[in-house]
Amino acid sequence: MRYVKLPSENFPEFFEKLKEIGKVYAPVRHNSIYKFDIVQDLSEVALDYTRTLLPPKKFFVKPRDPMFKIKGEEIVELIEEKSFVLFGVHSCDIHALKILDRVYLSEPADPYYKARREKAFIVGISCMPDEYCFCKSLGTHFAMDGFDLFLHELPDGWLVRVGSIKGHEVVWKNQELFEEVTEEDIKNFKEFEEKRSKSFKRELSKEGLADILDLAFGSRVWKKYAEKCLGCGNCTLVCPTCRCYEVCDNWIKAYESLRIRRYDSCFMPTHGLVAGGHNFRQTRLDRFRHRYYCKSYFDPSSGFNCVGCGRCDEFCPAKIEHVKVLEEVREGLI
Amino acid sequence: MNPYKSYDARIIEVRELTPREKLFTLKFLDPKIEESFTFIPGQFVIVDIRGYGEFPISLCSSPTRKPIQLCIRRVGRLTRFIHKLSEGDVVGIRGPYGNGFPLEKMEGSTLILVAGGLGMAPLRSVLWYAIDSGKFEKIYLYYGTKSYEDILFRDEIIYLLKHGEKLNCHVKLAYEVETPSCVYLEKGFSEKVCKGLVTDLFRGEHFDVENSYALICGPPVMYKFVIKELLDKGLSPGRIYMTLERRMRCGIGKCGHCIVGTSVSIKYICKDGPVFSYWDALSTRGLI
Ligand SMILES: Cc1cc2nc3c(=O)[nH]c(=O)nc-3n(C[C@H](O)[C@H](O)[C@H](O)COP(=O)(O)OP(=O)(O)OC[C@H]3O[C@@H](n4cnc5c(N)ncnc54)[C@H](O)[C@@H]3O)c2cc1C
Ligand code: SF4
Ligand code: SF4
Ligand code: FES
Repeated sequence: MRYVKLPSENFPEFFEKLKEIGKVYAPVRHNSIYKFDIVQDLSEVALDYTRTLLPPKKFFVKPRDPMFKIKGEEIVELIEEKSFVLFGVHSCDIHALKILDRVYLSEPADPYYKARREKAFIVGISCMPDEYCFCKSLGTHFAMDGFDLFLHELPDGWLVRVGSIKGHEVVWKNQELFEEVTEEDIKNFKEFEEKRSKSFKRELSKEGLADILDLAFGSRVWKKYAEKCLGCGNCTLVCPTCRCYEVCDNWIKAYESLRIRRYDSCFMPTHGLVAGGHNFRQTRLDRFRHRYYCKSYFDPSSGFNCVGCGRCDEFCPAKIEHVKVLEEVREGLI
Repeated sequence: MNPYKSYDARIIEVRELTPREKLFTLKFLDPKIEESFTFIPGQFVIVDIRGYGEFPISLCSSPTRKPIQLCIRRVGRLTRFIHKLSEGDVVGIRGPYGNGFPLEKMEGSTLILVAGGLGMAPLRSVLWYAIDSGKFEKIYLYYGTKSYEDILFRDEIIYLLKHGEKLNCHVKLAYEVETPSCVYLEKGFSEKVCKGLVTDLFRGEHFDVENSYALICGPPVMYKFVIKELLDKGLSPGRIYMTLERRMRCGIGKCGHCIVGTSVSIKYICKDGPVFSYWDALSTRGLI
């Protein structure tokens, strides 16, 4: 890894340089929430944001995504992507993108997702956990790859980790903005990370979790929470690793339609419904449990399908807490 | 290459099999694709009615016979739409998808095909492949149908009831609803046709369980009963294969609709299946 320092006074200019790559999207405050939105000036960016409502997946798996234009029997693919910058991504969300990569880039690769991934310039930013974060227990609180540049806050600027060739190029072209990292910077970086590490309030005990959950298929805890759950699907929409989609053909003119995909949620009763009325996940309980199993699926090569970002907790209207449900299921087992 | 883009295929024949099911014979417009399109019995394609949507359908013809055929039941919006199309119309086809039956592994063995209702469609592909290739010891087909009118590929089934032995293929048929035609058929083939369920057909039968594979396809409720009978006969779980169905959108493991299983084993019906062995069912909750 290459490390350089970006002094505070050069930060605005660095930000301006990023605009040369393409449109810059960054977290901005919107009433009581944060969201990734297009920004013109550094002053619009909420550098100390906690989490956005929709995660960065919205740039790669779009909420509403035209795939083809259909005119009569002719079908034309709609892949046209421009370079863009995703500025200020937290490490849990970087890990989540890697989980999405495994799905969308595995053979056969999804061409829409792939094009966007290749066009994206990702700048990570360090953060402090709030009461919902449990990324540390999942090992997703620090990103070793999956970004082009990663900015770590220092008292007088930023320690920048360069994570890709694209990242190197930006630093190379703008050498005058960067300095060598000093011992003082390293000390500050270390202190920040230690302080951060101690600030996590929530922890998921993942020891043997996958097997424990599998054994607890009939647990009463699922039922208890399925009764509380409103089945709204918020938790799936805001989850950075949820990516179920539905496809539909929409007529836009008399002779022209668009094949569009859009977010779907396993909380919707239609998710498992097939023709003839048979539903493979008939009850709220079936659907509630399915989501926990999907998020807690343990892939030996890459870990869980949850990165501990805390969105599902913060935005659940029934105040259902992910870690609490899993802990109770674990306790209920014996 | 965009894997979601379907190829144009012309409907060259439409045959009414029952009042609900039609058999569509299709040829790709691009001769190169028509030439190179191959598949394994048990695989499926996604049919694309442009402007209306897509749906998965098993290939029901044998890879040994061209052109490809799809047997489609009219159940909802899109299947109703395709039932209105006729010879000369063009639809999109993408695929083949899924794993198919591991037939290579089964060569030299006896095949026990157990079909319930529309489950006959994918198994017809296996049936004719097995007959045409001559690579299997013996073929048994146990087919459960609602009534005489619901028998899919009736002419082929009757042909095999009559002449199957010559092809090393033994067919038995169970029907649920008694009609004059069933009674007539039962009279003609008293050993092979009876009133009852598909499980009644092979209950008394003897197989060389060490050298047989069972291949099952039918409605979701059928699997547990059929598998129980087969296990009771001494067939190993690794010799029992079934093809399953789920709601599908992409067919290639992206859209998430066909996921089953739990925290230790998640399977995509579209790419890990639709064919699974009973070992898979034992280790993946919710598979059957
Ligand atoms: C692997 C596989 C193989 C199949 N093989 C056959 C076959 O050989 N012959 C046959 O007649 N049917 C088969 N089916 C079922 C067939 O896909 C559905 O009957 C069909 O999608 C119904 O579409 P519809 O628009 O008429 O129904 P609607 O009830 O109007 O359904 C609306 C939409 O839901 C989706 N949907 C509904 N049911 C299913 C389903 N079972 N699977 C996936 N998506 C569904 C479809 O996209 C459909 O457009 C198969 C299904 C699968 C998964
Ligand atoms: S399950 Fe909840 S905590 Fe885990 S990644 Fe999804 S939204 Fe974040
Ligand atoms: S956000 Fe909460 S209430 Fe809504 S579906 Fe998820 S768990 Fe249920
Ligand atoms: S059909 Fe989309 S994941 Fe299987």
